[in-house]
Amino acid sequence: MKDMIKVEKLTKKYGSHTAVDEINLSVKRGTVFGLLGANGAGKTTTIECILGTKKADHGTVSIMGMDPHKQRKKIFQKVGVQFQEAAYQDKITVSELCEFTASLYKSTTDFMELLSEFGISDKLKSPVKELSGGQRQRLFIVLALIPKPEVVFLDELTTGLDARSRRDVWKILADLKEMGLTIFLTSHFMDEVEVLCDQICILKRGKIVFYGTVAEAIRQSPYEKFEDVYLWFTDEEGQNDENL
Amino acid sequence: MMKTFKTMMKIELKLSLRGMDMLLFAICMPVVVLVILGMLYGDKPAFAGADYTFLEQSFGALATISICAGGVMGLPLVVSDYRDKRILKRFQVTPVSPLLILSIQVAIYTLYALVSLLLIYLCAVIFFDCHFQGSLPKFLAYYLLVTLSMFSIGIMVGGIAPNTKTAGVWASVLYFPMLVFSGATLPYEIMPTALQKAASLMPLTQGIKLLKNASLDLPAENVLIPFLCMSVVALVCIAVSLKFFKWE
Repeated sequence: MKDMIKVEKLTKKYGSHTAVDEINLSVKRGTVFGLLGANGAGKTTTIECILGTKKADHGTVSIMGMDPHKQRKKIFQKVGVQFQEAAYQDKITVSELCEFTASLYKSTTDFMELLSEFGISDKLKSPVKELSGGQRQRLFIVLALIPKPEVVFLDELTTGLDARSRRDVWKILADLKEMGLTIFLTSHFMDEVEVLCDQICILKRGKIVFYGTVAEAIRQSPYEKFEDVYLWFTDEEGQNDENL
Repeated sequence: MMKTFKTMMKIELKLSLRGMDMLLFAICMPVVVLVILGMLYGDKPAFAGADYTFLEQSFGALATISICAGGVMGLPLVVSDYRDKRILKRFQVTPVSPLLILSIQVAIYTLYALVSLLLIYLCAVIFFDCHFQGSLPKFLAYYLLVTLSMFSIGIMVGGIAPNTKTAGVWASVLYFPMLVFSGATLPYEIMPTALQKAASLMPLTQGIKLLKNASLDLPAENVLIPFLCMSVVALVCIAVSLKFFKWE
């Protein structure tokens, strides 16, 4: 299987603070990769360096075998991105934002279909600003899927969604994965990570503390519930014993 | 590419019209000022023995009201807003350059300016019996230069202001004095000499001199200084924007 995303020795510093420290990772076609870690562990910086919106200090990144700085226009025909903070124009409506987004790409999916799959097709005429947090989150996943991407980046996938919509989103993503979509996500919900991710990488203060499958992570720890395992990996030194 | 431009233009124009403020300041205001000046001065000559009327003399000035509104009010606000809202950054992860959305905005404000120009021209000719005596190609060329110059101020302010709030303050500081004291609304010719001198320091005043020169067919030697002023402002602002523009 081909590496859709490959990162080698990625390092990013802000002044004297090393936000991302020598990270290596690779994501194969048709798999879901989860980047985990506490707030401030370096997840968003890693994603931004991979996407090329931040410039790494060291290391190499390739998406579909291309350099995101040099071949930006080509890569982003086939890569969808949902950023943690939604970016949209004041007063724009759902249908306008979808049409606007679709116009940026050569080939696109029918966004009406996506909107109804995500249960927000009745919001077409609503201003994006007036959607609930969950509806807006679903809309931005739709926007990431409009270019019929081969790879999607979803930063904080289901933050703000209710239990039902979370399940719906998982189902849709699992189906898309079956069809060969490669998914790179970050999430704070370990149930979601367990269900969706083939591979995970846990970051702690910019360094990788675990890389592998969820099952492997559980085996390496003294716990059985994945959420406990995750906390065990990310807890600061010295706190592990207290929790045992 | 054409499809992208058309769709974006259509949606951004809708959003801009939904905002109402440009409709008011760039389209309605010039007409209102024209009507007021027309009623006050009617078809009186600009001065004793002048071969053009006061209103004909003011035409070049009125034509800049919408350029000023779009350039130093509309553009700085929208550019800084799109940066603060991370819309420019969002474009970096699409096949389209963030420059495209900026050029769409420039196109929209140019459109406002041209619509306003046409509108005040028609009003002046139909209701106040004005005649355009100068050279139209020359007028349009100067008009584009003034637009370029004012818009480059706007892009620069929007591009380097740390946030939308600051951009708003800078825009107001530029817009209101220029609107009132550059001769765009209050005719330069009726200002006291001291005020005229102060007004001449504003770039828009120079732009208006340029346009009046073309519309009234005045001697060409008066054009050099305003022409240089406009060109230097445009060059400096474009250079500063290229160097210091903040995408996020």
